[in-house]
Amino acid sequence: MFKKILFATSATPACDHAARVAFDMAQRYDAQISIFHVMGIPTRGYSQVVIDVKTGEQVELDDEYTAWVKEEVKIYYSKQLEKADKYTIEAVVGFPHREILRTIRKAKPDLVIMGGSTGDEEESVHKKNAAGSTLQKVAKSASCPMLIVSRPAASFWGGLSKVVFGTDFSKASDAAFNFALKLMETFNCELHIFHALDISSMHLGRMLTQDEIESKIRESLRMIRGRYINKIKDINNCSFDVWEGIPYVEIVKYAREKYADLIVMAHHTRKMDRADTRLGSNIEQVIVRAGCPVISINK
Amino acid sequence: MYEFLTGYMFWLSIGICLIGLLVQFVLYFKGLSWQLDRVAYKQYPALGFKGAARSIIRWMIPFGTYGWRKQPFMTVIFFGFHIGAVLVPIFLLAHNTFLKEKIGFSLFTLNPTLADILTWAVVVSAILFAIRRIALPEVRILTTAYDYFILLISAAPFITGLIARYQFGDYTFWLTVHIFCGEVLLIAIPFTKLSHIALFFASRAQLGMDYGIKRGGMKGKGMAW
Amino acid sequence: MPEGTLCNKKPIDTDEDLKTLLNDTGGKKYYKEMKALDVDSGLLWNTIKNTCKSRMKTWLKICAHCGMCANSCFLYLINDCDPKQVPAYKIQSTLGEIIKKKGEVDNDFMHMAMETAWAKCTCCNRCGMYCPHGIDMGIMFGYLRGLLYAQGFVPWELKIGAGMHRVYRAQMDVTDTDFTETFEWMIEEYEEDYPGLTVSIDKEGADIMYTVNAREVKHYPEDLAEAAILFHLAGENWTVPSSGWEQTSLSMFAGDWAACKMQVEHVYAAMERLKPKRMIGTECGHAHRATVIEGPYWAGRKDGKPPVESIHYVEWVAEALRTGKLKIDPAKRIKEPVTLQDSCNYVRNHGLKDATREIISYIVEPGYFVEMTPNREHNYCCGGGGGFNGIGLYRPQRNKALITKRDQILSTKAKLVIAPCHNCWDAIRDLEEEFKIGIKWSFLKPLLISMVEVPEHLKPKE
Repeated sequence: MFKKILFATSATPACDHAARVAFDMAQRYDAQISIFHVMGIPTRGYSQVVIDVKTGEQVELDDEYTAWVKEEVKIYYSKQLEKADKYTIEAVVGFPHREILRTIRKAKPDLVIMGGSTGDEEESVHKKNAAGSTLQKVAKSASCPMLIVSRPAASFWGGLSKVVFGTDFSKASDAAFNFALKLMETFNCELHIFHALDISSMHLGRMLTQDEIESKIRESLRMIRGRYINKIKDINNCSFDVWEGIPYVEIVKYAREKYADLIVMAHHTRKMDRADTRLGSNIEQVIVRAGCPVISINK
Repeated sequence: MYEFLTGYMFWLSIGICLIGLLVQFVLYFKGLSWQLDRVAYKQYPALGFKGAARSIIRWMIPFGTYGWRKQPFMTVIFFGFHIGAVLVPIFLLAHNTFLKEKIGFSLFTLNPTLADILTWAVVVSAILFAIRRIALPEVRILTTAYDYFILLISAAPFITGLIARYQFGDYTFWLTVHIFCGEVLLIAIPFTKLSHIALFFASRAQLGMDYGIKRGGMKGKGMAW
Repeated sequence: MPEGTLCNKKPIDTDEDLKTLLNDTGGKKYYKEMKALDVDSGLLWNTIKNTCKSRMKTWLKICAHCGMCANSCFLYLINDCDPKQVPAYKIQSTLGEIIKKKGEVDNDFMHMAMETAWAKCTCCNRCGMYCPHGIDMGIMFGYLRGLLYAQGFVPWELKIGAGMHRVYRAQMDVTDTDFTETFEWMIEEYEEDYPGLTVSIDKEGADIMYTVNAREVKHYPEDLAEAAILFHLAGENWTVPSSGWEQTSLSMFAGDWAACKMQVEHVYAAMERLKPKRMIGTECGHAHRATVIEGPYWAGRKDGKPPVESIHYVEWVAEALRTGKLKIDPAKRIKEPVTLQDSCNYVRNHGLKDATREIISYIVEPGYFVEMTPNREHNYCCGGGGGFNGIGLYRPQRNKALITKRDQILSTKAKLVIAPCHNCWDAIRDLEEEFKIGIKWSFLKPLLISMVEVPEHLKPKE
């Protein structure tokens, strides 16, 4: 299932946890790992000058420079690369999210792995004029599953044995479910299906009574059964539950309780308003808080 | 001397001036190339005419353009010089008396006091022009001896005219000198920058056509000069 | 040395030569060779004899040396009123001198002329508006650039740029396949948010043929998506050509007239192939100037117009808002102080001052729009026009030039600058990077998308 992994990295400590998972997966599943690094942002109109992402300085782009950057990336990951036998390193110039999406489209990997945000958005004027971080933009449009490791705590990974699938019963969630099911069948892991009932008054405009909550829980459990359970072959290896609360908090708690190795969720392709980018959707909060990697599916 | 200057030389100098200017004017328009200039002059005569007219007329009005308003002192000196420099030679009573003798009729004539004021304005403005050339660095860097020369031969008829008019010194002498300066000026006009008397209109018309046809004339109000 | 290996009079015509020149990072060897490059005085004088006619000859001759052009030029003003920056002086000391000397000028002179033509003038044409004789020094600098290019004295990035147009018919190494694939990719990315979003490539007889700036394909493909989305929402029958899609012309900045001709003829060929009712370009100033305003003359078209009626993007947006094809949700209009950059190439030089302001009246809440001073045709160049933005050798001069626009923006106290032009957008981004005055800046497309109402039948089904 994971034969071709694309690991998009800034080759800095911010991506170390993602690197750990990426190389581990490559080794574990005997996958080819492509290390993809965006080294510079074009800055001078139609000319060849780029701003180096690490130094923030302007450099003239040529073959020599590209080769040097690739070498640097190789050195940075030298320890992990010792054990990897199928790998490539690519360094390109452009806006990170755009180039990552471009290469996803061309190379069609089975999985893209990325780390959390690499910096304050206010830092570079190039980041300023577009809403959303690289992560958000890639997650929104990636045509393959995207695995995000945001915290060090989320990167101590021992393989796939317990997967949590969070759903909101949308069409995108169905796609995410299919992926989670495939994982279950391929790796013979446990699948735990979870729905969070959003009871925050912000969402509903009023407080629900306990009876209302419990009836909604029952309804959601019914939906899980109808939509997902009948598709699972080995029902001994799965469980499901519905808890009420603030969705991302509940999902993180549920995953913690189940000792999940992975959370699979749908990414909703919504237009990103400037106002929304700070708050983020549920999945973005889960990514930032979960104690394990999160896979985002949007198709 | 006087006879020579007011006889044969008069016709020669006026002839050179007028024919010379006409030739310059015609050659200018003949030498325009729609392809090299990148303006389709002949294809849009109405737009071209409108653009040319606006371009010329606005600049002939004191403070009528952003350019004039940006440089108020220069505008005052400029019009102080040019209004008199154009009106006085053509409409002065003394000149028209002479003209009537020569060709049988005369043009409208200026009130003498007005003519005096205008001529003084010309002379004072000429001096201010010269000072401007010396005092302002952005003008100084462009100024050459040639510019002072032009200023001198332009101002000379007016200065000598005033001297004659106020009858300082020997009237006959200064009158002769005045006529001589006038004729020097007339002959110089087609061969020096003074050809701007005709070419100002030509050049402005060209730019007016450019903006009127290619650079915005088709999009509404036209260039806000 | 008559010709260097990199710096010579030969234009770049092959991909190989392009890559070779590109690899000379920053043009180090190129500029070194330029110091020894001979001037072909015969060629220079011959060219002048053949191409400098009445208009330009008279301009140079009739200049009254009055100096009124001085404080119309933003470069003069920003350089502490250095007399050497007076437009009349700049052109007389370069082109005027070449003509006086009948082309007998030396390498040092040409270096000085190159710096004057590319670092002391952005060809914004503002000086021509302030000269009593109507002498347009910006145009003369364009002409001078042509002379210098033919002699090999052109900045490195522009020699490459002109070469790009010769080899790729685009300002960057973007092929036709890159273009069509990127466009289709963008449609894929956005079609879920906008069901029914498509792009028809090479559709004949469409209402609109859309042309772009190659850098959108390479680095800002969202721009292509946004254009597609806006046409889609407006219900337009539009297409893009698979070939002849690039509207820009670095060759115009470089003074490579032959390449300019090739470039626009390529786009005109697309127009003639697809026969759209109109051609609309992207938000770019010099692209419009090159392809729609000057282009027809390079292509020898007598009526001075492209084969098909061609309008600028702002004209289409104004029309779409006016006719209701695009409806703005009043609640989403801009409610912070905002100002507008008047792009020289289509405002001063094509009269579109009112189109942009009409758009503002729809997208900005009344009371929030502040005009720059001066504005409309009298507005100043962004600081990066005429290729200034990209030339490394003259970067310091360019950065100084940005101060004019910076100060204009600061006086308006605006938080957002609307800049419907790629060069102006770049210049304003650079001025924010350099001076950190805390502004945002934007093209029209993203602003429109954030506030346009999606018609019911085009909304995504939940």
